[in-house]
Amino acid sequence: MSRPDRREASQLRALNCSLGQLNRADGSAQFSAGNTSVVSGIYGPVEAKVYEEKLDRAVVEVKFRPDIGAPTTKDKWMESAIRNTFEREILAHLHPRTLVQIVVQLREGDGSVDSAAINATSLALVDAGIPLKCMVTAATCAVLSDDTTVVDPTQEEIDAARSTHTFAFASGSPTGPLYVDSRGEFTMDEYNHCYDLCALATERVLAFMRTAIEGKVTKEAKISAA
Amino acid sequence: MASVKIVLPGDIIDTRREEEDTAQQEPNVEDEATVIRLGPGLVQSSESVSAVTAGVLHSNSETNRWWVAGNKRRYVAAVGEPVVGVVVARHGEGYRVDIGSAHDALLPQLAFEGATKRNKPNLAVGTVVYGRVVVANSVMDPEIECFNSNTGKSEGYGELSEGFMFKCSLGLARRLIDTKAPVLAALGNGVPFEVAVGVNGRVWVNAESVATTILVANAIRNSEYLDAKQCRQMVKELLEKQ
Repeated sequence: MSRPDRREASQLRALNCSLGQLNRADGSAQFSAGNTSVVSGIYGPVEAKVYEEKLDRAVVEVKFRPDIGAPTTKDKWMESAIRNTFEREILAHLHPRTLVQIVVQLREGDGSVDSAAINATSLALVDAGIPLKCMVTAATCAVLSDDTTVVDPTQEEIDAARSTHTFAFASGSPTGPLYVDSRGEFTMDEYNHCYDLCALATERVLAFMRTAIEGKVTKEAKISAA
Repeated sequence: MASVKIVLPGDIIDTRREEEDTAQQEPNVEDEATVIRLGPGLVQSSESVSAVTAGVLHSNSETNRWWVAGNKRRYVAAVGEPVVGVVVARHGEGYRVDIGSAHDALLPQLAFEGATKRNKPNLAVGTVVYGRVVVANSVMDPEIECFNSNTGKSEGYGELSEGFMFKCSLGLARRLIDTKAPVLAALGNGVPFEVAVGVNGRVWVNAESVATTILVANAIRNSEYLDAKQCRQMVKELLEKQ
C-alpha cells in the first residue's frame, strides 16, 4: 500500500530547521518535518524561584503550547515527556540554583509531533549553549492496519494506524533509548521492528542537525577569524 | 585559514594526537606526564574527553589547552572578565548589580578607586557600572569590583555616567574587546566616542551628541554578521548619512 504522500515506508518527510529565530530567547530553534512544525525557545540558565531551586543542580522546566487553544492534559503529558528526556542529558550540576526553561510552541501538528518537539528542543539547547552530554534525536513509527510499518507518519496515517511508537536516542551512546512512547496494540516483533526503524531514522535526523549547526557555527567563526 | 573542526555535544575529542607529537620530540617524556587542560565546552568522562557545547574546537599545542568557542546569549560569570552591569539594589555594605548572569553580582561599596569608609561613591539604583569579575563559581553569587585591588587604581572601571547601554551576543562582545575590532576602528576614524565593552554581552557607548551615540550603537549592533570589509563599508555609509 502506498502512502498518502507517496513516500517510501522508511522515508522521512522533508526536514527543515532554523536556529536562533527568536531574538529575545537565549536560544531557539524551529524544526519541521513536512507540515509538522515546532518552535522551541530556551531561557537559561536564569535565576530560579526560591521554592523551586535545587542546591546542587539546575531545574529544568518545560512548557508546551499547542497550536490552538489552552494547554490540555495531553500537552502536560508532552511536557513531562520532554522534561524526562532532557533532564538526564543536560549537565545540570554545572549550573546549580538556576532554572533552564524550555518553551515549546507547536506551529502546526500533522503527526509525529512528539518527535519533532524533542528534535526542536535538542537544537534549541545547542543554540543556547546549555551544556549537554550528547545530542538527542527522536523519530516516530506507525504500524498500519495492513501490518506495514511506516516512519514519520502523518496525522492521517496515525489515525488509521494500529499502533504508534516514538523513540528518542542519545547520539553516540548504544545504551538504549532515552524515551519510548508506544500507543495501541502491537506484538513484541512489531515493537522491535519499529525500534530498529526509528534508530535508523534518528541517525538521519542527527546528520541533518549536524549540518544545520555546523552551518551556523561556520558562519560565526568565519567572521571572528577575519 | 586552516581547517576548522566543529564539535557538537557528545562528540569525543581525540586529544592524544598532541601527546604523540610531544612524545616523538622528547622520547623521555612519558604519556602520563602530559597534562591536558580543558577549557569551556569540554568535560572529561571516564577515559575520554567529550564536548558539551557546539562550536569550533581550539587547542594550544604549547600549553596543551583545549577549548570550544561558541556563541551564546546568556552570560556565565568567569573570573577576570570585564562586565557592564546595572545597579538593581543597595545594601548596607554594597550594591547588587545585574550583569546578565543567572544571579546578580555583588559590588562592595569599598571596591572603588580611593573609596574609604567615610568617602565612598553613592550609586543610585539604575546606574550603569563597568567592573571586573573577582568571584565566579557555580555555588556562590558572583562578585565584581570597580578597581584593581592590587594597585588600587580604577584602570578605567567605575560608574558609567550618561551614554547609552545596549545588549548584543556574547560572541560579538568578545570580538569587540579586541582592540583591532574592525567596526570600532572604522568608527574611531570618523567620530570621537567612548565605549565600554562587557563580555556579558553589554556595550556602553557615549559621544558628544545623542545622534552620534545612536549612530555608534547602531553600527556596533549591525556588525554582528559582517566581516572587516563589510564593517568599513557599513560605517562609511552611516557616517555619510549623518
